[in-house]
Amino acid sequence: MDRGVVRVYLGAAPGVGTTSAMLAEGRRRAERGSDVVVGVVETHGRGRTAALLDGFEHVGRETRGLDVDAVLARRPRVVLVDDLAGVGGTLGEDGGRWADVDRLAAAGIDVITTLWVGHIESQHDVIERVTGRTQVVSIPDAFLARVDQVELVDMTPEALRRRLAHGNIYAPDEIDSTVLDLFRPATLTALRQLSLLWVAARIDEPLLAYLDADDIVDRWEIRERVVVAVTSAPGNDNVVRRAGRLARRNNGELIGVHITVGGGAAEAHDDRLAAQRDLLVRLGGSYHEVVGDDVASALVLFTRAERATQLVIGASQRSRWTRVRRGSVVDTITRELRDADLHIIATSSTQPAVSMPRVRRQPVSPRREMVAVLLAAIGLPVVVLVGLALDSPLSPHEPLLALLSVVVVSSAVGGARVGLASALAGSLLANWFFTPPRHTLRVANADDIIELVVFVAVAGLIATLVGALGRRTAEADRARAEAEALARSTVTLIGAHDPLAGLLAQVRSTFGLEAVAVLAREGDDWRIEASSGSPVPASPNVGQAVDLRADARLVLVGPPLSAQDLRLLRALSAQLGAALTNRELHAQAAKAELYAEASNLRTAMLQSVSHDLRTPLASIKASVTSLLQPDVRFTDADRRDLMDTINEETDRLDHVVGNLLDMSRLQADAVDPVRVVVDIEDALGAALAAIAAPNDRVVVDLPAALPAACADPVLLERALSNLLANALAWSPDAEPVRVDARESSGRVVIRIADRGPGIPASKRATVFEPFQRLGDRSQQVGVGLGLAVAKGFVHAMLGDLELDDTPGGGLSVFVSLPKAAP
Amino acid sequence: MTRVLVVDDEPQIRRIVATNLRARGMDVDLAASGEEALQLLDARPPDLMLLDLGLPGIDGVRVIEVTRQRSDVPIVVLSVRDLEADKVRALDAGADDYVTKPFGIDELLARVRAALRRHAGAAEVRVYRTDRLHIDLDNMVVSVDSAPVHLTRLEWRIVEVLVTNAGRLVSQKDLLQQVWGPQYATETNYLRVYLTHLRRKLEVDPSRPRHFMTETGMGYRFVP
Repeated sequence: MDRGVVRVYLGAAPGVGTTSAMLAEGRRRAERGSDVVVGVVETHGRGRTAALLDGFEHVGRETRGLDVDAVLARRPRVVLVDDLAGVGGTLGEDGGRWADVDRLAAAGIDVITTLWVGHIESQHDVIERVTGRTQVVSIPDAFLARVDQVELVDMTPEALRRRLAHGNIYAPDEIDSTVLDLFRPATLTALRQLSLLWVAARIDEPLLAYLDADDIVDRWEIRERVVVAVTSAPGNDNVVRRAGRLARRNNGELIGVHITVGGGAAEAHDDRLAAQRDLLVRLGGSYHEVVGDDVASALVLFTRAERATQLVIGASQRSRWTRVRRGSVVDTITRELRDADLHIIATSSTQPAVSMPRVRRQPVSPRREMVAVLLAAIGLPVVVLVGLALDSPLSPHEPLLALLSVVVVSSAVGGARVGLASALAGSLLANWFFTPPRHTLRVANADDIIELVVFVAVAGLIATLVGALGRRTAEADRARAEAEALARSTVTLIGAHDPLAGLLAQVRSTFGLEAVAVLAREGDDWRIEASSGSPVPASPNVGQAVDLRADARLVLVGPPLSAQDLRLLRALSAQLGAALTNRELHAQAAKAELYAEASNLRTAMLQSVSHDLRTPLASIKASVTSLLQPDVRFTDADRRDLMDTINEETDRLDHVVGNLLDMSRLQADAVDPVRVVVDIEDALGAALAAIAAPNDRVVVDLPAALPAACADPVLLERALSNLLANALAWSPDAEPVRVDARESSGRVVIRIADRGPGIPASKRATVFEPFQRLGDRSQQVGVGLGLAVAKGFVHAMLGDLELDDTPGGGLSVFVSLPKAAP
Repeated sequence: MTRVLVVDDEPQIRRIVATNLRARGMDVDLAASGEEALQLLDARPPDLMLLDLGLPGIDGVRVIEVTRQRSDVPIVVLSVRDLEADKVRALDAGADDYVTKPFGIDELLARVRAALRRHAGAAEVRVYRTDRLHIDLDNMVVSVDSAPVHLTRLEWRIVEVLVTNAGRLVSQKDLLQQVWGPQYATETNYLRVYLTHLRRKLEVDPSRPRHFMTETGMGYRFVP
């Protein structure tokens, strides 16, 4: 008989919905016609789960536990068995439910079941570290290895905590400190990660087996694996960083590899390599060294061996000559790498500066002229010698044409001056050697005269044209550079918040200057607004100065500028002036904003304080003036009432003033706590008495063995009374404030839980700011200061104060203090 | 019986005000929030509302605005907010008077009485007379110590508006619009100038007026 399929819904914590997922799957199967029954389901009193259960046939005892024999007798196609770690099956207390599931599967029945990650045996040590508790029940990994399908039911810690807070997971009275510990965000996150990793590992195993077995070396993208080439080239650490980011973004793995060519000769830049190795480790990557004959092939082989999906290399550092001789690494890799993406990263991030080409009077460089002179000096005699050697029947035409071609080439290279000179030389040589009568400068035939004239004219024309062309090209280059400089400065002006520095750097590189600065007049002196290069000119007299505005100048230090440069500089200085004004406006706006903010805050704080002080005063004054009225006779009860109000409100005023004084002590750092052994029960009693809390509104439940704390009794009482008063003020009348305490890793933790409206997580960071409750909406106590004072005092006693949701709604405040030495 | 709705989130204030109003034979309803107040406004329509501005939930000014869409019940604001801007906002929203906390109960009761008088449609004061000052609106005669005083047309209009509302606060905006016209709302400097003139003509000591009172930030009041 075939074994039944076991499907497990795995959850990171109670309440993520594994049971619901199991029931939903059961329902889907039933709808497709399968015979589905429920073996055991634990609803934990959750209404929604119970509703899902509706309509399923339940085999065995309704109350508790799985009746394996009943299920085997019923022989359904699918059975739903909640909680693999449940106990009390046929194998008895110690066997656990998983053994029952194993039996059912062995009998050919499909089982759908649920599991909490904490019950997996191999996870126990981690779970203990995370939750601080040892798990008693465990599911052997050997059994889980036989499970056919595992599906993770995932939920973010935030969503889960919301469910807990709404009472969807436990009834409020079921929640104790164990549950609260488990549902701390950090714990939930850790548990979730454990579950994800466990499931991921399960998925990896068969996959790796499959890849190895079938010798599949094609690209198989499961999880990004990024290989980065580590070289000793300067700037390569940027390449490694980019690769690190790539890996992190894709949640992948970073693998660095250094290829040593040949026998692994000592590297010249060992320290640079070492730095990159450290960087790799810091980025969470691993470092490998591979010896290969050829960098490119070794990289490709390594990438394939590591089943990497991405290969990151720096842009080529080889010179053009090396590339021709040994081929480009990039080309080779592109050709051979088929199973991974290739990223080529620029190794230098600095933008090449545009420097301004100069338009010379002489359009051809001296070097080119020299080359042209050499050409003519060698070419012309060679042509003459060849012509003489081949002499005799030839007319002078052929040597003339050969000479002309030398002249044309040399004028094309060397421009007008060289061209004209070589034309002259050529024509003289032709006349002397080739036109009859030879060896004289006289010319016999009219035809030859025409030929010589044409010769000189053509050579001269070409030389002139070449010169003009050179000049045009230089002008075009310059115009392009100008346009680029202006465009860049415009972009800088638009893009940057404070473009002045960027613009100056551009001015400096554009004109090839040593230093530039913008100076602003300040009385008789000049203040440096911004500068680029060094030494920074501190006064307009140091270099060439251009007025930007009446009170600001641009000073340039370096070679003198040409007229064309000045034209461009004028355009740039207009932009510099705009940038300067822009900067000043920004500074003013920022200042104004700051003032406005400070003034708003001050107003709100004053409102808050005036509310806290005036409200009790208002009650007192209204009561007193009521009693003072001559024309009304109040009943005795009313008179009593008014006087009670005066009494109570005087206390309240005293409390607010006390908090104000405490706050100023805290802010002046004038709190100096004594640290003695304090009994928590005593401290709570004193705090409750101080705020005259009605007995039925506060429920205190302390464990008998609670250790004493190390604290300042007076500060602790004031902190607790503030917290209790706050909790009472927000709690509805019907719901008491609950106070409990426990010992946790060397600290005593007191919890004060109210059932009021609570504080959304996003606002928790700010509620401890003094006067956080801005404006005059309030409840009874001066909430504006209470929490801030409490936190300040608790911190002064080396304790900590945290906020959390009260399960079922409301705010819980946790005060943790160091345990007193026994 | 006159019914007053007291809206304040401070139970002590509610209790004291209620005790005093009841001692003067009024019927009192209490509300701790704006939402509660607006419900009571329909369920038990009051003759006057005493309203705190800093309420949990919807703000007091919003309560005034919503109330004004349904009812013209007189509203006297009772608040710790003492900034001019807050007062102007509340009055512009439709409040009739504004008392800052802490307050004497006598003053509060006087404001309550004045607000109730107006709402009860008490006959407008047309003639006002003391030993010194005599104002007859119908015959357009004003005299001080029996000597007739000449008032300009605008001064006369101001006197008329303030005296017909004797004892009650007339907001700057209302006064401007009733005297100068509906397009005026912010030209409060006009008011300052004209009130100074009026006090010179009608008060014994213009710097310490007895009748033509300025309620800083809010408006003016003719105190008989």
